[in-house]
Amino acid sequence: MTPTAPRAQGTVQIRGLRFGYPGREVLSGVDMDVEPGELVALVGLNGCGKSTLLRLSAGLLRPAAGRVLLDGDDMAGLSRRAAARRVALLHQSAPPVPGMTVRQLVRQGRYAARGPLGMLRDGDDAVCARAMADVDVTAWADRPVDSLSGGERQRVRLAMALAQDTRVLLLDEPTTYLDLRHQLEVLQTVARLRAERGLTVLMVLHDLGHAARFADRILALRDGRVAADGPPDEVVTPGLLAEVLGVAGRVGRDPVGGWPVCYPDHPLPAPQDLVK
Amino acid sequence: MTGATQAAAARRAPRRTARLFVLLALLALAAGCAALVAGRALPASGVWEVLRGGGDPTSRHIVLNLRLPRALVALVAGASLGLAGTVLQSALRNPLAGPEVTGVTPGAVLGAVAATGLGFAGWHSPAAVVVAAGLGGFAGAGLLWLLAGRERGDPAQTAVYGVLVSAVLSGLTAVVLLVAPGELGSVVQWLVGSTEGRVWPHWRLLWPWAAVWAAATYALAAPLTLLRCGDEQAAAAGVHTGRARIAALVCAVALTAGAVSVVGALGFVGLLVPHLAFALLGADLRTVLPGAALLGAVVVCGADAGAQGLSQGLAHALDSDRLSVPVGAVTTCAGAVLLLIVARRRVDDR
Repeated sequence: MTPTAPRAQGTVQIRGLRFGYPGREVLSGVDMDVEPGELVALVGLNGCGKSTLLRLSAGLLRPAAGRVLLDGDDMAGLSRRAAARRVALLHQSAPPVPGMTVRQLVRQGRYAARGPLGMLRDGDDAVCARAMADVDVTAWADRPVDSLSGGERQRVRLAMALAQDTRVLLLDEPTTYLDLRHQLEVLQTVARLRAERGLTVLMVLHDLGHAARFADRILALRDGRVAADGPPDEVVTPGLLAEVLGVAGRVGRDPVGGWPVCYPDHPLPAPQDLVK
Repeated sequence: MTGATQAAAARRAPRRTARLFVLLALLALAAGCAALVAGRALPASGVWEVLRGGGDPTSRHIVLNLRLPRALVALVAGASLGLAGTVLQSALRNPLAGPEVTGVTPGAVLGAVAATGLGFAGWHSPAAVVVAAGLGGFAGAGLLWLLAGRERGDPAQTAVYGVLVSAVLSGLTAVVLLVAPGELGSVVQWLVGSTEGRVWPHWRLLWPWAAVWAAATYALAAPLTLLRCGDEQAAAAGVHTGRARIAALVCAVALTAGAVSVVGALGFVGLLVPHLAFALLGADLRTVLPGAALLGAVVVCGADAGAQGLSQGLAHALDSDRLSVPVGAVTTCAGAVLLLIVARRRVDDR
């Protein structure tokens, strides 16, 4: 019943991707490959094109040049629904919907698979139940989403994305507005699902420490270009902090886990400030 | 919450919805009966006798050819407006949207009045009025779309432009009335909204039109539910937001045009019924849409019965036999009060 083709593995290939708004180029030629089952963290300053790259990868924006290939298929050739059957994207935030229950919101994730008329009938309860169980929100199924706390709501929205039942999961700053405990909760859930299902995950993170802890690979963007791309051990360096994130600092190791830990010190003057 | 109480809650929700629907259907029936009974010429006992197959020819004519079609027209027009408002508020994600304030109703009135004034249409050619009202409704909505421009996503800005567009269209309607006063009496009914003198031809015109567009609207329940979750979330879930919104607007304009062409601009129905429907039935448009249709029918038909009762009372008090309060006056007055309550509640929510 899975609408994705049997060869659907979850490979994302991005080739020479350019995108811009009038007078401002956001992405100026990005190339990257994400292997099936890989967890990649996108890092960079505000406005460096991270969210735009995710939207382009989900097929929500049309590139000015270049291509996004999903298991070899160009996203530009897919309809909105066909794209949503293969890639799920969790946006940073969503407006409140008065009266909508957790169960109802998660069910909306089935739209791509079932279509406008298919959604009129009940069904797909198993997929939704699994998605809710995956992020442990089953207990609140009949509560209004608005009545939940920020962390709980974020998990519900993750369940909605999981209900799309895709191989590729894109997350745009899934930990924004959450306290540390809930940040770790969401990230651990994502890591566990990746391990259990072999999902391909590409997520924008602001916290380099989280990226180093959870990602297989870190991709750093600066001014619409890939500035660094590699495993956390190689990429997270004082040089990356300075060049990509614009802060001076030191990098150490977690005494137990061994992953890189950043000790940011102070912001560096931005290059354009130097020009002025 | 334990598993058992949870399962019980899951079972209770649909049962509560079913009970609500039964209640709404009974209310619609009651409103229909009230509209049948209301009026001066024939007391309730006479109506009952006609419905049982008896009565003299005059009574039969009053009930079967005057009151019955009028009540049915009120029910269907109310359902159309309730649906149109719900669709607009969902598609534009704007609780201040309604056919009255997005240029749709004033546009439809302008279309109907202009066509009548210019002699293309009239009460004798109701089909032409529907077409004219439809064109006007689309023009009104289109004007708002153009004016709002990039600020379309902002509910408050869109509401401001909506008031502007509505004012301009009402002004144009006034101009048409001054230039071509033609069938002025019936035109005034359009401006306020009235079910006075609606007979079988109106019903035969209205119900198929309303049924077709209501079905089309229901087919859009899923994308509309997602549009209420925000454009980004809807698009990520697979909705082509632009197309879904245009399809929804076409349905809303068509439903409004049908209602306006037959009963005129009934104030506030399309703006307020959706608030009631969402408050009672939640966020899934699969249940909210039928609920809004029933609520709209109850409100308009009930207001019609109320207006007739009021006319009777006033006529008695003022000792005049030619006095009739149009249903639009009742919905507008009651609607203004309800709108205040809704606005207060929204402020309290913050």
